[in-house]
Amino acid sequence: MTKRLLFSAAAALIVIAYPLVFSSPFQQRLGALVLLYAIAASAWNIVGGYAGQVSVGHVVFFGCGAYAAMAVYQHFGLPPIAGVPLGIAVSVLIAAVIGVPTLRLSGHYFSMATIAVAELARLITTNVEFLGAAVGLSGPTVPRTVLDLSFTSALPYYYLFLAVLAGTLALTWRMERGRMGYYLRAIKDSERAARSLGAASGRYKLYAFMLSAALTSLAGALYAMMFGFIDPESGLGILISVKMLIMAALGGAGLLFGPLVGAAILVPLEEVSNNLLGGRGAGLTFVLYGAIITLIARFQPGGLLDLVRRRLPRRSVGSGHAA
Amino acid sequence: MSATFVQVIVGGLLLGAVYALFSSGLTLIWGMMNVVNFAHGDFVMLAMYTAFLVWKLLGIGPAGSVPIAALLLATLGVVAYFALVRHVMRGPMIAQILGTFGLALLLRYSVFWGLGANFQSLPDNIVGGTFEVLGIRLQASRLLAGAVALLVTAGLHLLLTRTLLGSRMLAVSEDATAAQLMGIRPDRMQAIAWAIAAGATGIAGALIATFFYVSPTVGETLAIIAFVTVSLGGFGSVPGALVAGLLIGVIESLSAFWIGAVYKDIVVYSLFVAVLWFRPQGLMGKA
Amino acid sequence: MLLEAQNITKAFGSFTAVASASVTVEEGEILGLIGPNGAGKSTFFNCLTGDLPPTSGTVRLMGEDVTRASPEERARLGLARTFQLPQTFERMTVLENVMVGAFLRTPDAFEARERARAIVERVGMRAIAEAPARNLGTPGRKRLEIARALATEPKVLLLDEAMAGLNPAELHRAIELVREIHRSGVTLVIVEHIMEVIHSLARRVIVFHQGREIARGTPDEVTRHSAVIEAYLGKRGARAAKARPA
Repeated sequence: MTKRLLFSAAAALIVIAYPLVFSSPFQQRLGALVLLYAIAASAWNIVGGYAGQVSVGHVVFFGCGAYAAMAVYQHFGLPPIAGVPLGIAVSVLIAAVIGVPTLRLSGHYFSMATIAVAELARLITTNVEFLGAAVGLSGPTVPRTVLDLSFTSALPYYYLFLAVLAGTLALTWRMERGRMGYYLRAIKDSERAARSLGAASGRYKLYAFMLSAALTSLAGALYAMMFGFIDPESGLGILISVKMLIMAALGGAGLLFGPLVGAAILVPLEEVSNNLLGGRGAGLTFVLYGAIITLIARFQPGGLLDLVRRRLPRRSVGSGHAA
Repeated sequence: MSATFVQVIVGGLLLGAVYALFSSGLTLIWGMMNVVNFAHGDFVMLAMYTAFLVWKLLGIGPAGSVPIAALLLATLGVVAYFALVRHVMRGPMIAQILGTFGLALLLRYSVFWGLGANFQSLPDNIVGGTFEVLGIRLQASRLLAGAVALLVTAGLHLLLTRTLLGSRMLAVSEDATAAQLMGIRPDRMQAIAWAIAAGATGIAGALIATFFYVSPTVGETLAIIAFVTVSLGGFGSVPGALVAGLLIGVIESLSAFWIGAVYKDIVVYSLFVAVLWFRPQGLMGKA
Repeated sequence: MLLEAQNITKAFGSFTAVASASVTVEEGEILGLIGPNGAGKSTFFNCLTGDLPPTSGTVRLMGEDVTRASPEERARLGLARTFQLPQTFERMTVLENVMVGAFLRTPDAFEARERARAIVERVGMRAIAEAPARNLGTPGRKRLEIARALATEPKVLLLDEAMAGLNPAELHRAIELVREIHRSGVTLVIVEHIMEVIHSLARRVIVFHQGREIARGTPDEVTRHSAVIEAYLGKRGARAAKARPA
């Protein structure tokens, strides 16, 4: 027990002290990006990992948050953060539109629907002037107050994202330990049995999806605030959907820290490969992602943390045979 | 009824037949082993590139590229089945969906990286030019594509319902264990299904390449069209995919005509959401 | 009456699995459903549990029409069931499996755990409460399913061949458990093949054959009924059985 506590304390210390120790702008920015993607991937994890419903178009929620934040600034002069509730509301609505009909059917319908809706959102946004069409929307170039959350250094973003990540993980942890967590696990193992015990599977999957959408939207808003800009490619393109799911799946889908582990591996990896390969690197990154995803699916769908867990010596009581 | 309007409808039907062809492969796999191939659109893309390369390197048109693409894609289908699908089929949904989705990315961006993002196209008159029939202007390439697609789809349906092979495949899809007890090898039947489904995308892709531009990301759009077609037609139903494909082709064509080409995708994708809400079991499916 | 099925018919295309079956289950009784394989009893059972919607007919649970109600709705109203092929939550422990059932009656995890613990104790699985369900053998899984169903505090419990595959000692234990559950006030409907179980537990039995009810009565009455003997042994077997001394 104390070993775990020590390990957790050490890990927490490292995470908190990182940008102070590795204080170059590049390193701080990298850290902030890892945390940002960890938030998005953790949000995806709620529906993709815990509920087992594989959303392949999750970027639509990311885009909702990003666009809402930028739109309230560009069109109404409000600080982007004021767009967060709007982004969440629209995301949850979209989640309901996708989820209500598909979550009571086999998982394939859900996944197909997420791809279609994400593409639909991208097409619509590219053609709507209010949303910046193909050019996109911008945030404040010069911050007016601290509320604009427009910083030149990555350091404040790092701690802001860390706080949001901590909140996201705390929320996930509570869900995991409560009725919803148990129901989702049961539904994954045997939906039929779960329903016979009173677990309304369609409803719980929908809750997970809506929660996931809301948190993803928040991640999108934070992204837009940090970069000060959003367009259909960066905000609604397939790359973000892929990143969210690969980070969660690589680290460990359905595990609390899986997405963080995945982000900590893949974000620096992408930075390195972009620097090495330059322009052509974009295509290769996707090829790599595709390969990683396929390999995970084929050999270790539980991800890295699951692999680690299996290798650890068993601590549980009575794991032997029973009558 | 104006000639232009009829032209739009006929154009839609011809394209819809091609949609039906590659979608019937998707629905066959889905119905048989409850796997949705998220790389299906990219299979079609590969077939399109095959047709392009066959013309560029060998100077042969669809007469050659269609069989070559069919063979190549059928092989890819079998390989994908044995190397990947067979394993992820039995696992959790996440493994299944990520498996074919990862494959999609792998195929799509390998082509992007290797052959570049530029749009390519075959020459306009590789099959023949445009000609007029009863006041309707038709492209020979589209006419050929539609006709061949219709024939092959119908042939596929007959294969599944009237032949011994077809009934064996049906047996496996109903109950693999029982089929095994009857001496049928589920593994083999499923591999054959993948060969047929992928081969169909090969034919469809090679045909599309004769009148549509070829690019690495074209599979993204085609995949969604396949999903809509299969959902509207009903899970597992080839005749359903045919009817749905034709319908989607016409709707797309009318949308482009009335609202503008930019919006036709929006209409089709919105239609998908509507189908999921109001008739997820599709026109003829088992759901 | 607690559970009532009226004129339940279930057809799959041209094949009629159940033809106009009617069953009334009174509170506090143990009702047995028997019949040879393919007799339609499992299909009928699944119409009662909500797994299959009947082609026609109604199911009422404590007066409420549940014919089209989902399985989770029925659970909420007090109907619980076990599965012929155990559907335990393999990746969860014994205790966690039972907790899933307990969560129907309480949203609080602590409370659910306590209630689950009590049930695990009651069915005699305390020693393996933390074992993953996938480590259990079939008898353990069947017992777990019963425990899990009990946690939903049902009024009526439907057992689908819960005794199949048990050796004599396990069978004895299982019968005792069912008796104890019955004593605590739960009404039971048991689908069974094993006549010993029917004789030990059921007060009333309904016999199915080819989708229809062919006899009902006490276990003794029913096993002596000529139509029932014929259904199980065929016409020649029935004659042969009659020729033998009783």
